[in-house]
Amino acid sequence: MARLDPVDVVVVGAGLGGSAFCARLSERAPQLRIVCLERGDWVDRSAMPAYRRDWQSAALGAWATSPNARLSVDARLPSADYPIDDSASPIKPLMWNGVGGSTINWAAHVPRLHPSDFRTKALGGVGDDWPFSYFDLEPYYDLNDTAMGIAGLAGDPAYPPKRSPRMPPVPIGRMGEKAARGFNALGWHWWPADAAISTVDREDRRACNNAGPCLMGCPIQAKASADIVYWPAAIKNGVKLRTRCVAQQVIVQGGRAIGVTYRDATGATQEQPAAFTVVAGNGIGTARLLLASNVGRGVDGALGRYLMFHPIAYARGMFKEELDGPRGPIGNCIYSHEFYEHQSGRPFIRGLQLQVTRENSLLAQAARLEPAWGAAAHRLLREEFRHSLPVMVVAEDLPEAGNRVVLTEGVAADGLPDVRVEYTVSENSRRILDFGLDRAEEMLRAIGAHRVVRVPLAPVTGWHLLGTARMGDDPARSVTNARGRCHAVPNLLVADGSLFPTAGAVNPGATIGALALKIADDLAREVIG
Amino acid sequence: MTPAFLSAVVDTLLPGDQGVPPLPTGTAAGVAARPEPLLSHRDGAEHDVALRAIARAAGGEDSFVRADAAGRIACVRLVEAEMREPFRALVALVLQDYYEAESVLVAMGWRVEPPQPAGHPLPAFDEALLEPVKRRDRMWR
Repeated sequence: MARLDPVDVVVVGAGLGGSAFCARLSERAPQLRIVCLERGDWVDRSAMPAYRRDWQSAALGAWATSPNARLSVDARLPSADYPIDDSASPIKPLMWNGVGGSTINWAAHVPRLHPSDFRTKALGGVGDDWPFSYFDLEPYYDLNDTAMGIAGLAGDPAYPPKRSPRMPPVPIGRMGEKAARGFNALGWHWWPADAAISTVDREDRRACNNAGPCLMGCPIQAKASADIVYWPAAIKNGVKLRTRCVAQQVIVQGGRAIGVTYRDATGATQEQPAAFTVVAGNGIGTARLLLASNVGRGVDGALGRYLMFHPIAYARGMFKEELDGPRGPIGNCIYSHEFYEHQSGRPFIRGLQLQVTRENSLLAQAARLEPAWGAAAHRLLREEFRHSLPVMVVAEDLPEAGNRVVLTEGVAADGLPDVRVEYTVSENSRRILDFGLDRAEEMLRAIGAHRVVRVPLAPVTGWHLLGTARMGDDPARSVTNARGRCHAVPNLLVADGSLFPTAGAVNPGATIGALALKIADDLAREVIG
Repeated sequence: MTPAFLSAVVDTLLPGDQGVPPLPTGTAAGVAARPEPLLSHRDGAEHDVALRAIARAAGGEDSFVRADAAGRIACVRLVEAEMREPFRALVALVLQDYYEAESVLVAMGWRVEPPQPAGHPLPAFDEALLEPVKRRDRMWR
């Protein structure tokens, strides 16, 4: 094993958290030597399927959102995946492993948490409070918004005023307008989505042309992703990004992290000594590496635990008139936060988001029909395709110690222990979903849906991998402090969604970016004074 | 497996319809033109297991081919109930080829060209719809 020259900071993972962290720290403390190790490679935009006629089936194969689905195909994969045993979880983890992380194939719907999400314990006696407030994080939300470029509209009464500039919102289309009339008829809140998507041409990023399949990557770079948003600045600032390098272990001696061992692109093992080690491998990858490094065992009982997804259900309304189908950026249309804040008298704690999305491709819609074959399937698809309006119910998932990421006995091809997800949808989350489905159906009926199909729990929706190295003051219930430093190993930091003490009921991307920027600032202040 | 048997299975799964424009059958859309994927263990799925089970349920490949529509459907339903996962994998495979066929896309009122580079036009957002929401008091806590 070669021992490389020491650096000041080694970062594991070039996804949203690691990218934002590297860009910010290198800007604030340019004298620091920073190396980032990324298990995957840069994505090849020319290989993205949106220009190909087989784009629909590509979404079920090498460009699927699930790493397990990608690994099951016999093809060279664009993402450097590892298998995840998800047999003990009704929600299947989704991610991308490469420069940019899951922002390569995210929907780029970037709502912020609400201020109340940071104080669930204080306000309602559930979950845990974050160690800082929304308003402490707000400047970093603004910074992340500015870096990403946000299309949206100011003035949403569900949020404190947002100061960062906005491009015009993505068109909400016929589906969005129809749903908006439904929300208005019921007197419910709605607002156009905040999208990290350019709606005007900006330098090398073209305006979105509503092509649709954002989850297979955006070849015209209208959709923001960390590889194009944060890495050019980080590299210009001197950060060394080493791709196809799989971290094997955080080396801890005497309660201090002294660096990382990794397997490089040639298969050789290297040791990268560093004064600070930062892990940003997402809620599964971070826990996997830290557990494999024995960082938390016997000390941080919370490591790997308190895994939160956002359990998701769908109500899909069928209409006589033609709607948009798969036109438009799939995750960005309009949302309602009418039932977001906790209200006593409801059959659950905390709340939910109703999110109107675009439709899936023809093939994806056909594949999920029941029955999926025969004359009945043709009839159902005729009724549904270009005539359906999906409303997604997104539940706030409360942290529970039993929901967790664990290592298993095998060793994966990447040299790390195999990993398993153990997760159960809680009774409270189930009640939230059922309540949300009733409200979604109420809205769809109000605008004339002649049939509503319910999906009580959508399994392939595990994008949001949160909470497995949570922040907090109590080492028994948290892994890091407010600055992302591990209680057990103070010069070992985490900078991704693993840090979330609670999850809110919105997509976490904006908060992950903001959090990583804040942690970088905190470290810069400590290092440079 | 005989081409006639594969075609019969494909057209049982994808019978087409008489809509306007009509949906073609699976074979007319070219699904069984390349039988190799149906017979392979591609992507870890055992499609041939489900196909062999369908033949068994019918009393042989020829029997399935000679059966009427109701008889074929009954055989397929039996296999669907007995071995759900291999059967779903077989259906998923034939759906892929079918719903990417030009004639099927046209019949469903969708364009043949991929999403890029043309994208799709969508009308601009009518902000007047938001007036009732803008009049609301602060909702956040």
